[in-house]
Amino acid sequence: MLFLQLLQGGVQTGALYALTAAGFALIFGATRIFHFAHGAAFTLAGYAFLMAWNAGWPWPLGALAAIAVAVLFGVAIEQLVYRPIGRHEGGFFTVFVAAFGVSIVVQNLVGMIAGRGFAVIDTPLSRATEVLPDLWIAPVFYVAIGVSALLFLALSLFLTRSHAGVALRALAQNPDLIRTYGLSSTRLSILAFALGSALAAPAAILTGMTVGLNEAMGHHVMLISMAATIVGGVGNLKGAALAGLLLGIAESVALAFVEPQWAEAVSFVVLFGFILFRPSGLFGVAVAR
Amino acid sequence: MAAITVENASRSFGGVQAVAGVSITLPAGAVTALVGPNGAGKTTLFNLITGNLRADSGDIRLDGAPILGLRPWQIARRGVARSFQDLRLFTHMTVRENVLAATETGSWFWQPGGRAARATREARVEKALERTGLARLAEERAIDLAYAERKFLSVARILAAEAEVWLLDEPTSGLDLASRRHFSGILREAAQQGKAICLIEHNLDVVVELADRIAFLDQGRVLAEGEPQAILRNPELAAIYFGDRPQAVEATP
Amino acid sequence: MIAYLANLATIVAIFGILASTLNVAIGHAGIFSVAHAVFFGLGAYAGAQTAMLLVPDPLLALLVAALIAGGLSLCLALPALRVRGEYFVAASLGLQMVATTLFSELKPLTGGIGGLVGIPRPELFGVTITALPLALATLALILLATHLLARGSFGRTLRAIRDAESAAEALGKHVAVAKTLAVAFACAGAGMAGALFAFHMAFVNVESFTLDQSVLVMAMVIVGGTGTLWGPLLGAALLLALPAGLSFLPFIPPTEVGAVQQILYGLAMTLLMIFRPAGLVGDLGRGKVAH
Repeated sequence: MLFLQLLQGGVQTGALYALTAAGFALIFGATRIFHFAHGAAFTLAGYAFLMAWNAGWPWPLGALAAIAVAVLFGVAIEQLVYRPIGRHEGGFFTVFVAAFGVSIVVQNLVGMIAGRGFAVIDTPLSRATEVLPDLWIAPVFYVAIGVSALLFLALSLFLTRSHAGVALRALAQNPDLIRTYGLSSTRLSILAFALGSALAAPAAILTGMTVGLNEAMGHHVMLISMAATIVGGVGNLKGAALAGLLLGIAESVALAFVEPQWAEAVSFVVLFGFILFRPSGLFGVAVAR
Repeated sequence: MAAITVENASRSFGGVQAVAGVSITLPAGAVTALVGPNGAGKTTLFNLITGNLRADSGDIRLDGAPILGLRPWQIARRGVARSFQDLRLFTHMTVRENVLAATETGSWFWQPGGRAARATREARVEKALERTGLARLAEERAIDLAYAERKFLSVARILAAEAEVWLLDEPTSGLDLASRRHFSGILREAAQQGKAICLIEHNLDVVVELADRIAFLDQGRVLAEGEPQAILRNPELAAIYFGDRPQAVEATP
Repeated sequence: MIAYLANLATIVAIFGILASTLNVAIGHAGIFSVAHAVFFGLGAYAGAQTAMLLVPDPLLALLVAALIAGGLSLCLALPALRVRGEYFVAASLGLQMVATTLFSELKPLTGGIGGLVGIPRPELFGVTITALPLALATLALILLATHLLARGSFGRTLRAIRDAESAAEALGKHVAVAKTLAVAFACAGAGMAGALFAFHMAFVNVESFTLDQSVLVMAMVIVGGTGTLWGPLLGAALLLALPAGLSFLPFIPPTEVGAVQQILYGLAMTLLMIFRPAGLVGDLGRGKVAH
């Protein structure tokens, strides 16, 4: 039953990784910006919900607040940081350093305001019951699976049915379009940042209910999203989401074989291996070089 | 004497034959122009010679010695230099450094040959800068140069490298008449000194003015090779070049 | 006060070495490593173990540290040869994360989270000395080496590869050799800084070799100016003086000094990238890259 328990944990973590990774991949696909501050949107959204919840707000209001904070952050960083850097043709490393600076600021501001260390959003959903002998599942598990599935359904509908969604997908598949698109690429870029950041909010709230939040977790979230995007194949949203799910499961199931402190390294060994031997990822066609 | 001989070289990309059984010689002391519509396989042929792409079949030799399968840097060190359509200058280095780098093939911490070799290299750099008219811009960064100056810088690198074979991808496109004359002078002079020069060129005026020989490529094949006047007068080739493609074209020997 | 200044000077020298060597990778070779602390750590553990198990001879420890860090730099050179841009940054991030785990788990070699305690003072020719003169001498050597490297043909080769790899190859440069050498040089230097750090602190643990440390060193290079000789050292001094400077400001509660310092340093990174991406010393906008 240990294996089932680990698998359950892995699916739960993986579903949430998939959401954040899809957000990261969406942004990268549409703008070619490696959004290293994606983890900061996650942290901000999680803490926004936590504070709303602790202040006694009803949860839908808290969730809306979290989404609003994430979207605001995403759009603000696009407008205030990435756009000016793009204007003077800064390389990707300039973008990386600037984004890393932002995530450091967010991490420490959150730590100063909300306090440091782990904070769990305590709801009735977090209480686990024994559904099978030795298999404990909290209701939040079903919520996490359901919310992720629903959001992916909505996202794929948006990307295939709406005009803006189709344009975003076109950009992801053919980066040269960014240049030829001209004016409307500005709006699409804002849209990508808003959508991508919004996807981090439910993941952050549910993470807060399962394993808890921590002001420094943005790094980890960013690294996992990046790993999933590369492993899944850049420009491939489904690939990124699937890779996020697999990384979550791998991290969790690895606990059956190794000590818990090695679990995180598993993801990065996978990432390192992929970059060395298959940089185009699982489903990618574009070669990295 | 033929510096480069390509025999029956082919290369395909996922079912598309970019180069299909090309045989061509680039003789020393002559300027050969590769002419043909876009997508004829001209740049691919360059990439096969320089080792950037590997031919699926065929043979490529430099002065009789096989170079097929060698890495690009190995082929470069044997005396084959190329320019790129998008130039690929060392943008954040000075003009002098760009040219100096072309003379230094050692990739370890220092260059062989000590002080004497270094003086020779510096003399080569000065000569190349002088010949291309870039001496007064020697301390400018490549990225700050005007368009024509960048083109001259790309040829100055090859000049200083003292390569025996020059492969130039559209070297004169976008140059005004005076610059083009200057450029042609450099190439003619190099050919007289025994270099094998091959250029991809779309401007037929330049071809007539500069080339000793023409190889006409279309759809990965050499349709004709020979004197410029003879080739350019061939109405079938002209039709292909100017876009009125006849239904079937037999390769002229 | 003198002890305080000596300590600060030693730390600045050690981070000056780290930043200057990382600058060879970032500024000249265009290899944007976010794993420099890994090689700093390897050198620290190697130097500490040499001193504890064999003799506290600093020269031997520096040599061992440089060899181990330089040798294992292949882990970084390999992805540098395969991919570039964001992919390489991602690979180096992955390497950094895996190495952090290894550092905290390989207890026989690294002492785990507890670290290695009781590293003896360095002894040169039978005389016990402090780390300061060693660090200054090594820094001087590294600066001289990077200066020669930047001015010489190897630096030119690296910058040529950075600006146009295919053109450099077409001119006969062996790209793999040049990149591997550049990475090995940078990492061996980081290893030496690590050994000095171990001697200076007499104690090392994984906390000094994490992603945050890699980013700090990277920030030093960038704040100072990539591709310049003195920029990285200036950047190191500035970022290390920041906490000391802040602790003199009375209105910041002592418990928040760390966070405020981090916020300022994060802000500085972001604002610099927006307004002055070439760093304080560098001037990529006009004129040639300063050496």
